Amino acid sequence: MGKLFRWLDERLDLKSLKAGLLDRAVPDRLTWWHTLGSATLAVFVVQLVTGIVLATYYSPSPDHAYDSIQYLQREVASGSLLRGIHRWGSSAMFILILAHLIRVFSMGAYKYPREVNWLIGVGLFAIVLGFSFTGYLLPWDQKAYWATAVGTNIAGTTPGVGGRMVALLRGGSELGAATLTRFYAFHVLWLPVSLAALVGLHLALVVRQGIAPMPGLLDNFKAPQRTDDERYAGFYQETYTAAKSGQHRFWPDVMGKDAIVAAGAVVVIVILGAVFGAALEPPADPTDTSYIPKPEWYFLPLYQLLKLVPGSMEALVAVGIPTALILALVGLPFFDRNSTRSLVRRPMALVSLTLILGGSGFLLGSAMREAGPEVPPEVGRPLTSKERAGRALFQSQQCGGCHKVRGEGGDNGPDLTAVGLRKSSGWMHSFIESPSRFHGADTRMPAYGPPALSHQEIEEIAQYLSSLRGGVGPEIQPEFHDTFP
Amino acid sequence: MQDRRSFLRLASAVGAAVVAALAGIPALRAFVSPAFRRKTAEKWIKLGDVSNFETGVPVKVDFVDTESDAWVETRVLRNVWLYTEDGENFTVYSGRCTHLGCSYGFDQESGKFVCPCHDGEFDLKTGKVLGGPPPRPLDKLNVKIDDGILYAAFRNFRLGIPDQVAV
Repeated sequence: MGKLFRWLDERLDLKSLKAGLLDRAVPDRLTWWHTLGSATLAVFVVQLVTGIVLATYYSPSPDHAYDSIQYLQREVASGSLLRGIHRWGSSAMFILILAHLIRVFSMGAYKYPREVNWLIGVGLFAIVLGFSFTGYLLPWDQKAYWATAVGTNIAGTTPGVGGRMVALLRGGSELGAATLTRFYAFHVLWLPVSLAALVGLHLALVVRQGIAPMPGLLDNFKAPQRTDDERYAGFYQETYTAAKSGQHRFWPDVMGKDAIVAAGAVVVIVILGAVFGAALEPPADPTDTSYIPKPEWYFLPLYQLLKLVPGSMEALVAVGIPTALILALVGLPFFDRNSTRSLVRRPMALVSLTLILGGSGFLLGSAMREAGPEVPPEVGRPLTSKERAGRALFQSQQCGGCHKVRGEGGDNGPDLTAVGLRKSSGWMHSFIESPSRFHGADTRMPAYGPPALSHQEIEEIAQYLSSLRGGVGPEIQPEFHDTFP
Repeated sequence: MQDRRSFLRLASAVGAAVVAALAGIPALRAFVSPAFRRKTAEKWIKLGDVSNFETGVPVKVDFVDTESDAWVETRVLRNVWLYTEDGENFTVYSGRCTHLGCSYGFDQESGKFVCPCHDGEFDLKTGKVLGGPPPRPLDKLNVKIDDGILYAAFRNFRLGIPDQVAV
């Protein structure tokens, strides 16, 4: 190993690279909160690696997107796990980048001289939001389709340019094939390249300017009141040099902690991905307007807020509030030139942070307590419109009088709790129409063919019965034992 | 300080290894899985009533197969060649030439199977290569007779190699 290092060092001068990057002194008393940025980066790398393999098996067209994902989950080794890691990783990305933002904000590290890096960071935050919004559509299931329909409609309420914005986002006036390829190109090409470029810049600036010192060290009696005071630069330089007593180096003092937290985050994501996986609802049905979509959890506070405002204010809230937040973040280093760094000595900052986080938390909580699309316990996922009709018929025809589902019902006929795993919907359709064909004249099952029920109604019941697969646990593959007389 | 430093160095190495393994192993598995795909199952196809087939005369039977191309299902027309000498024991050959998969035919005059693509020739009774580039004899399929009906188990084999390897 040492020989290899020497060989490379002779040619590439690795020693000075090591000295410049790894051995540089860092300020004293850095905390574990400082590990959040690199944890975000580590999770991004995990998303990149899992994403590349997912893209190897994904087909971005409405005809094939859903099937390609089912193929991945059923036929590809570790396919379900990969999907699960990617799904939970995306939530983790959002949490970590937000926590990193809050940490930097709380320590006033966006102030002189790190304003540029803060702006790059805001850009990175916007890119991460872009990743979630575009990635969400790709499965092309009910949730993906309808959540994107609503999201793009909200963009459409922007005064003036709304119409053009919607067409730009959707690749047309409606959500369809052009939208899917557009979102895919963003998710897989545009956004990763932009993110990589900005992350590179972000890290380069951290190396160039160093890690910001702890607030306490900069909030001393010698500090000029404002950072645009001509004496501030000199004061900062002096204080920063003193803050680095030379005891701590980037490697291994900072990187060691980073590695521990990053690894911890990845372990949690992989465990969640393995245990809970990623859900897949029924395929997108553009004609089913009764489906109630819910956006991903980090958009829920805004979604909830929209319910509380009158219709006339919808555009103002839905577009205005996110825009105002981004503008506030961008403008922050410029309208806050006060030199105080410590959060407890910055009442405006403390109050705004508390209000925004507290308010969002409250809205998030109330949104989560509300119902989303109805998930019948015997099925375990939202139903398609045909299945919903079938379920209503099952109840109105009182099939439960003879058949048990999940412990409730009669004993005259077979238990139907997991009938969808044993019989195909085609078989069930034929059987319901004419049971005596299958079981002989003395069958106890009444015939429900026309005129009792129409063919469409029987098909709806058959579709509903096909969805009865125990209702719990991971997706089980059906093994049909159909025989037709 | 040194102990702390050593611990942090070790923790970094372990942390990096953990992240690489947890994300990398499933990703690698999924990516290489097509190279280790388990063989597709045999498909029994109905060829017809046993009494319908003339002895000593090879018969081509066409059938429609549903082929799964990853997540896309298509219907494909395939064929097999069927031969019997006594009406009780049947030989069924896959209709794909073992050279490069063309559909071969039967030449009445010479009494041999002949492939039009590169002039490969096969023996009627045994399927052995009599001429041309095919690397191995015709692939024989498993047969069964159920209730007087003849069935053959169709499967695909790798082409252009001397060994018979099911795909």
